[in-house]
Amino acid sequence: MMCRKIKKRTDRVLIACLLVFLLFLTGCWSRRDLTEISIVAGIGLDRTEDGKIILTVQVVEPAAVQSTASGKGGSAQQKPVFAESYEGETVYDAVRGILSVVDKKMFFGSAQVLIIGERLAQDGIEEVLDYFIRDHDFDYEIYILVAKDTTPMEIFEMETDIDAIPSVYIYGTVDNTESRGTVKKTMLIDLIKEMSGNEKQFAIGSITKAGEMRVKTEGVAVFRDGKLAGWMDRYETRGYLFAMDKIKNAIINVPAGNGKIAMEIMRSKGKISVEFNNGELSALIVNVKVYANVGEYKGKGRLETPDSLYELEKALGEEIRKEITMAVEKTQKEYCSDIFGFGSYVRKYHPRYWKKAKRDWLAIFSELPVIVNVDAKAERVGIVMSPIE
Amino acid sequence: MEKERISNIQLFLHLSGFLFGSTVILSPARGAKNDAWLAILLGGAGGVLLTWVYAALATLNPSKTLVDILREKFGNIAGSIISVLYIWYFIHLTSLVMRDFGEFICTATFPQTPMIVVIGLFAIVLVYVVNSGIEVMGRLGELLVPVIPIVIGIISLSLITTHDFTAFLPILENGMEPVITAAFSFISLPFGETVVFLMLFKHLNKTDKLKKIVIVTAIISVIMGVLVFFRDISVLGSDLVTRATFVPHLVSLLIPGLNVEPLVDINLLIGGGVKISVCIYAAARAVSQVAHIDDYRKLTGAITTFCVVLSLWEYENQIEMFNWAEKVWPYYSIPFQIIIPLLMLLLSLRSGKRKSTAS
Repeated sequence: MMCRKIKKRTDRVLIACLLVFLLFLTGCWSRRDLTEISIVAGIGLDRTEDGKIILTVQVVEPAAVQSTASGKGGSAQQKPVFAESYEGETVYDAVRGILSVVDKKMFFGSAQVLIIGERLAQDGIEEVLDYFIRDHDFDYEIYILVAKDTTPMEIFEMETDIDAIPSVYIYGTVDNTESRGTVKKTMLIDLIKEMSGNEKQFAIGSITKAGEMRVKTEGVAVFRDGKLAGWMDRYETRGYLFAMDKIKNAIINVPAGNGKIAMEIMRSKGKISVEFNNGELSALIVNVKVYANVGEYKGKGRLETPDSLYELEKALGEEIRKEITMAVEKTQKEYCSDIFGFGSYVRKYHPRYWKKAKRDWLAIFSELPVIVNVDAKAERVGIVMSPIE
Repeated sequence: MEKERISNIQLFLHLSGFLFGSTVILSPARGAKNDAWLAILLGGAGGVLLTWVYAALATLNPSKTLVDILREKFGNIAGSIISVLYIWYFIHLTSLVMRDFGEFICTATFPQTPMIVVIGLFAIVLVYVVNSGIEVMGRLGELLVPVIPIVIGIISLSLITTHDFTAFLPILENGMEPVITAAFSFISLPFGETVVFLMLFKHLNKTDKLKKIVIVTAIISVIMGVLVFFRDISVLGSDLVTRATFVPHLVSLLIPGLNVEPLVDINLLIGGGVKISVCIYAAARAVSQVAHIDDYRKLTGAITTFCVVLSLWEYENQIEMFNWAEKVWPYYSIPFQIIIPLLMLLLSLRSGKRKSTAS
């Protein structure tokens, strides 16, 4: 009897304890509700003339986005995004300083793009990126772009009618490079990997303004030792991406008679290597193999014999070879920057040679001849064979 | 209390969880950069030998704990003194693992939570586990440790598209020296730490397979270590592997479109939990034997509290912790992990021979 009573009492104590534990389940220690944060969609970094960092953020107003999306908007409607900037000695200083003009704490996990201003790029970007790597709030898959002939603030202030949130629109244009191959999709993590080690220089996709309400993401910015060395246009960029095995799909125009044939690249495999002759580096090699289909025949001609396709293959290979050669030679002669990672290749596969060549690698690199081998295959012609006669 | 038994498979899982406890957050042997896999293989070979020594010691002295063996081989007084040193070593090890764990959670998951809350709450659970006895610990290991390889598998497979399989080249760019240093520290952390299992081996229900289990476990954990290293380096590249604070956590951040960070936390909770509970158990048992206290359960609370306080107090900051774990710990551990066990093994072999010649 007594025993049962005691047992009952201990049960009660146990239940009371369990109820107390419930208090711990109410939420996280440093929880932040949606209404208490500023949702950042895009980040911009630039530098003032006296060397300070300008941080620009594009912040989303969720409620306003919804009313824009549903089309109910009246004239007195709130804008779905706003842009704000702040100057600071360091990036983090500016991140916190910006709170003196914006009320809610920034949430950076949702940021889609990081745009770097031209001046900052010229001064070197390696040191400003440390904050984005070190802070645990950032998405390592954020897209990085360099603004050409414009500033991050200008881009973020732009009002576009394509998407309620401009950063999402920019993100989308970078993402669709899969079907055109004219801008390099640069994620933060890729950039960190490319930046590490002194043998590799890097390239970042570029963004320009195209009219009042549009941007254009085309071409890349080439960096040498972390500083902007120059730009490459969309054809050179495509050549670069072919060599780096980053092309998923692209359209190459091949001259045919007095017209042009647009070839659609279906698959592409790119590989770089080097050639040695008597223990000395003698040439840089790029090997590319592509499979393509005929996408469009603009002009008059016939595509009925196998021979016509063989010729097309040759011409296609020649076009791609030209683009790649153009890209490599430009980086060698004009920018002196090894964005292809030939140095990294030498370090991996010829470590002994690398040890003595490492010091003046860029000088060696820029003098070497380039051999580009393109093996192009034209496979199919589409729904019709020949164009209208 | 003496009747408590664990099965072979439970020992296998517990030992694997123990060996993986710290390596799930700290990538081992990373001082050797791209050649860490060589260091893991070399250190692993040493580690297998070392764990074999412990297993041999346990089979030569069946149904005896470390304290019993020490007293028998070195005499009552000297044995007790060395036992006290071992108790200190176990407590220190516990506090180190707790601090590792706390630093990780405070860096990666809960940056604003004070570390004492993180470590304290974890310690309360572990005291409960240890007080439930070795059988419960064994079954808990059986339940939880298989999660570790599953999680590692999930993370590795989700990253298969971002791999650069040539990232570990070139081989031996900086010569053999960093490899050997890293291999040495890999022997002591985690393999040498399995010396605490000398307090547990006597609970095994079939001791005839002990050596085999221990060696198989050690080999499996070396293979896992090498695989994890190749995953890390091919995802992050050699430079980032050496710069990252917690490599597996950073790797898990890179999975496209998914946030699986908590999976690494789960691994850590399991691995760290196994490691800390074994250490606390060993320390409490050792104290109870040395001080002739009949039940070790009276001591676990006090020992754990001491460990929690020690873990918060022993380092000023995070870098000091890494530095200590890499540069001091391996050397500090030499007597406990290598010299004393080897001496005991020699003495056991001699007395074993004497016995066989006498009969």
